[in-house]
Amino acid sequence: MIEASLIQQAEPFQTGNHLLADYPVAASGYDEMCSMPGELRPHWQALTEILENIGGAELERRHAEVQRLLQTDGVTYNTYDDPQDSQRLWRVDTIPLLMTGEEWTSLAAGMEQRSRLLDALLADLYGPRRAIRQGWLPTELVFGHPGFLPACHQSLPSGRRWLIFHAIDLARGPDGVIRAYGDRAQSPSGAGYTLENRILLARALPMLYRDAPLRRLASFLETERATLASLARYNPETPHVALLTPGPSSPVYFEHAYLANYLSLSLVEGEDLVVRDGRVWLKTLGGLRPVDVILRRVADPLCDPLELRGDSLLGVPGLLQAVRGGHVALANALGSGVVENPGLAAFFPLLCRQLLGEELKLPSLPTWWCGTPQDRQYVLAHLDQLVVRSILPNGPHWEGGRLDGKTRQQLIEQIQSAPHLFVGQESPPLSTAPVLEDGRLTPRPVMLRGFAVAAEDGYRVMPGGLARVSTGLDTLQAALQKGGISKDWWVLAPTPQPHVSLLRQAYGPIVATRDGSDLPSRVADNLFWLGRYSERLDGTARLLREAFGRLLEWEQDNTDERCLDDLLDALKIPVPPVAESARARFFALRQALLAVLAPQSEHPSNVRALFGGMLRTGRAVRNHLGDDSWRLLNRLQHSIQNTPADLGGRQARESLEEYLMLVAAFCGLNYETMPHHQGWLFFDIGRYLERVLRTLDLFKLAFITARHPGLPLWEVVLAITDNLTAYRRRYRSALHPTAIIDLLLFDTDNPRSVGYQLRRLQRDIGRLHRPEKSPYCSAEERLILEAFTALRLADINALATLTHDSTRSSVELTRLLEAIQKPLSGLSEALTHSHFSHAEVPRQLIAMQP
Amino acid sequence: MKYTVTHRTRYRYSSGVALCHNEARLLPRRAPWQLCQDSRVAIEPRPALSAEREDFFGNRVLYFAIQDIHHGLKVEVVTEVHVLANRPFEPSSPSMPWEQALRLLRESPEPEIIEARLFALDSPFVSLAPEFRAYAAPSFWPGRPLLDATIELNRRIYQDFTYDPHFTTVATPLHVVLKERRGVCQDFAHLALACLRGMGLAARYVSGYLETIPPPGQPRLIGADASHAWVAVYLPGMGWAEFDPTNDCMPREQHITLAWGRDYGDVAPLIGVMTGGGSHQLEVSVDVAPQQELQTEL
Repeated sequence: MIEASLIQQAEPFQTGNHLLADYPVAASGYDEMCSMPGELRPHWQALTEILENIGGAELERRHAEVQRLLQTDGVTYNTYDDPQDSQRLWRVDTIPLLMTGEEWTSLAAGMEQRSRLLDALLADLYGPRRAIRQGWLPTELVFGHPGFLPACHQSLPSGRRWLIFHAIDLARGPDGVIRAYGDRAQSPSGAGYTLENRILLARALPMLYRDAPLRRLASFLETERATLASLARYNPETPHVALLTPGPSSPVYFEHAYLANYLSLSLVEGEDLVVRDGRVWLKTLGGLRPVDVILRRVADPLCDPLELRGDSLLGVPGLLQAVRGGHVALANALGSGVVENPGLAAFFPLLCRQLLGEELKLPSLPTWWCGTPQDRQYVLAHLDQLVVRSILPNGPHWEGGRLDGKTRQQLIEQIQSAPHLFVGQESPPLSTAPVLEDGRLTPRPVMLRGFAVAAEDGYRVMPGGLARVSTGLDTLQAALQKGGISKDWWVLAPTPQPHVSLLRQAYGPIVATRDGSDLPSRVADNLFWLGRYSERLDGTARLLREAFGRLLEWEQDNTDERCLDDLLDALKIPVPPVAESARARFFALRQALLAVLAPQSEHPSNVRALFGGMLRTGRAVRNHLGDDSWRLLNRLQHSIQNTPADLGGRQARESLEEYLMLVAAFCGLNYETMPHHQGWLFFDIGRYLERVLRTLDLFKLAFITARHPGLPLWEVVLAITDNLTAYRRRYRSALHPTAIIDLLLFDTDNPRSVGYQLRRLQRDIGRLHRPEKSPYCSAEERLILEAFTALRLADINALATLTHDSTRSSVELTRLLEAIQKPLSGLSEALTHSHFSHAEVPRQLIAMQP
Repeated sequence: MKYTVTHRTRYRYSSGVALCHNEARLLPRRAPWQLCQDSRVAIEPRPALSAEREDFFGNRVLYFAIQDIHHGLKVEVVTEVHVLANRPFEPSSPSMPWEQALRLLRESPEPEIIEARLFALDSPFVSLAPEFRAYAAPSFWPGRPLLDATIELNRRIYQDFTYDPHFTTVATPLHVVLKERRGVCQDFAHLALACLRGMGLAARYVSGYLETIPPPGQPRLIGADASHAWVAVYLPGMGWAEFDPTNDCMPREQHITLAWGRDYGDVAPLIGVMTGGGSHQLEVSVDVAPQQELQTEL
């Protein structure tokens, strides 16, 4: 245990001030801040003075502020293995990690060289394969690694660079030397989080960040943008650059959305893109729009189901062929995962001499590849001191010294049966850096992730990066899934650097369509469903709130409770069998209602599941929602997740009350802030289609199928639609069905009435973009017209006798409701067909999976 | 021997396909023992674009895309192929002891040998397991020449396994084939690869066609032939020796080579990804017609 040994060997830090008091520096090992107990490294002097001035308590307060900002901005890192709580909040420590400019300059030179080396290696492995044919690299190490994709052989037009973005994991050992622990070359993540960390910390700690002598990140990001643009073969002035993401299920989706926003890229998923005429196109409501460059964050094998993994739904069929033709550029090139192989580290010094004619500057973690007999013997003989790692992507690792006899024997057998798949690595204790814990600084082991981006000549290295508190064995992903903490890594500059806002600088001339017809079809689809789920959650929560309300009133005031059966019907909850006593009935009803709210409930009225749909579609259109809307969604999530599992009826009603307010705020804010273009129209259509269908259902229940028709149920219907007050004000009378029907069916100015909802749908649908101008109505226009006409032609007098001539009137009402409902039930499909259908998923001619 | 090889593939879709991207490995590759004239390729509907290239293994790949709504796809490739009488190895050819082949494969600095080691590794359809080595081992006694050992392994597969076109699919795992002792040429080829690679040797999958000779007195049935598959084992410094475990022989004039790779996945004759289409029906017909008349002309 690294941490335990640190504390045991610690000596108190005698500075007399509280923040640094008792900073326990290990006698052995390397601390970033102190060269020995009580001895600050000079470059930390200025920062610690500021920190002391701020004080521990205030720093804790600022830290809480940062966490709050992270939460409201929805900065998350998702885990795959926890469906209930699939988003984990990104955690940031407020104390930066400092590095001197001199040290960074030499580190950056090493990183830059490593990027050039990996690029040269990729070009060689997918080209002449000199490294293999000359014996610089063993065949098994390269071809035995699944990252080598034969389909990518010679896939890049000559002169193109393979590696555009590169991330290197780094750490400092007890000897003070910084070594490379691994490389990310397919879709290196972390730069977006680095940016977000810097922005949030600067916001929470202005006294620390304003005019601080640290190198700023803006110029690096400008290079990223310029490099992406320079890859375009067409439209060099205004290239269309897209960020290809696996979608909201990706653990780093936040970063994808963030970077797309920051660099003004289209955020797209595989199904948004199509290859036609050898080019890549984005499917938008207005038709196909060419894509020149793709910053892809989808793993190599999943990018093209034609030539790579055929069962991938995340890729674009024909993409590799489009790359071969040179019509689209990918950053990074497909196949680059082969250089993420940890076994390559053992061969870098030789490769660097052979491929670049240079000596390797940045040392790697000492690595032995078991495919070489001598190295294998070394690893087996020193198993106790080494970490054994599988070279496979996301492969496991073993700490040799911690294995029990049986596992150890199994590992040895595994190594001997396929030695080329294993490496042994040293795992020196990591250097420690101060982390704020309980108002004090405490040393914790740290790792760094640095970033490089291709530039015209060589590579540029980000001055700084992501530091994280680590155990040293985990990958960044693994560490964060376990709830790791990140830190801002500062590179110091000789003089104070002006703070340049990193927020939203517009790059280049803005070319946009005003009406939103360039909206990807998938985004429109998701906005439509976001609207439907929002309304479904709203409607369900209203019914549940009313049900709990009636239940509690009955308990207290012994009111008429029979309408509860009808409410249960409306919620599609089975009505409990007739109970022996009122008390038994009360508990049975309460039980039935609470069961729907239980976290594990699979009932269609489960608000968590409904919110899940809202969140999923909401995250898929993250970049189309306003920041405040997004914050509300996060608050709603927080509220739903923090609702205890064992609720009472009263708490349930209060929770539902809160959800309703937040959903209403969310929808209201969208109305207020989203431009009322195509995207918003789909959201609105989704909401009102859902609402009108629910209102019609409610009507049917109250006036046709009710178990206990009459006054109490009518009151419930008005309460659910929040129209009780409106009714009383308008009619100043006791409840009468005809008046209710007028208010909730025909009144085209009451947003809760079917008439209003149909009129709004008709208006929205009429404004939808139609690819080809046609003099005829579209299918969805015909359907909404049919529904609205049925309502307008209805004879209200025939419905007026609902109380005394109920048979005739209910037949009329049934007929009317059905005449409205039938066309509406086809509306969703018609919209899908006209607007979302290019989102159809491609599939294989023959399934080719072994 | 000279042949006209006609390979027709036809798909019929129950609903329209809006877009498809395809790759065909139907153009026979050239080899020292095989000369190919240009192929005549007919694709219906006409592709919006097509391009030929050579893949990592040196096979000829034809990419094509159809971009208009279509309800079927027809691909017909006609090639005139001249297969020479002699392959690099025949059953009586001298060969090195198999252990020496192993040693050379591991230790030789020759670029060709270094690269051949790729074919000694696992591949997507051929994952190595001890049971395949155990099946192969009785044929590989110490010092036995590699060709002898492989001929015997090839014969044992032929004798121990039943040809059964209804038992396996592309997805049937190899250990099921080994356990149930039945399959088709593709399974036997994969099995032979797993055995040879299990012994540490380099071996590759070969796809192609086999001329079927009708029983005496009966006419040749057009289109009755089929795609075929066999294997080749590497003798370091000497070359690749081919074996057909389905027919217990070493390929000669009747075996027409189409493509080779690590396994079936590298050489599937026609793959594609399409949008739409519903369910589909597939018809494949292969015709390997000997050209007696042409032979005299040329």
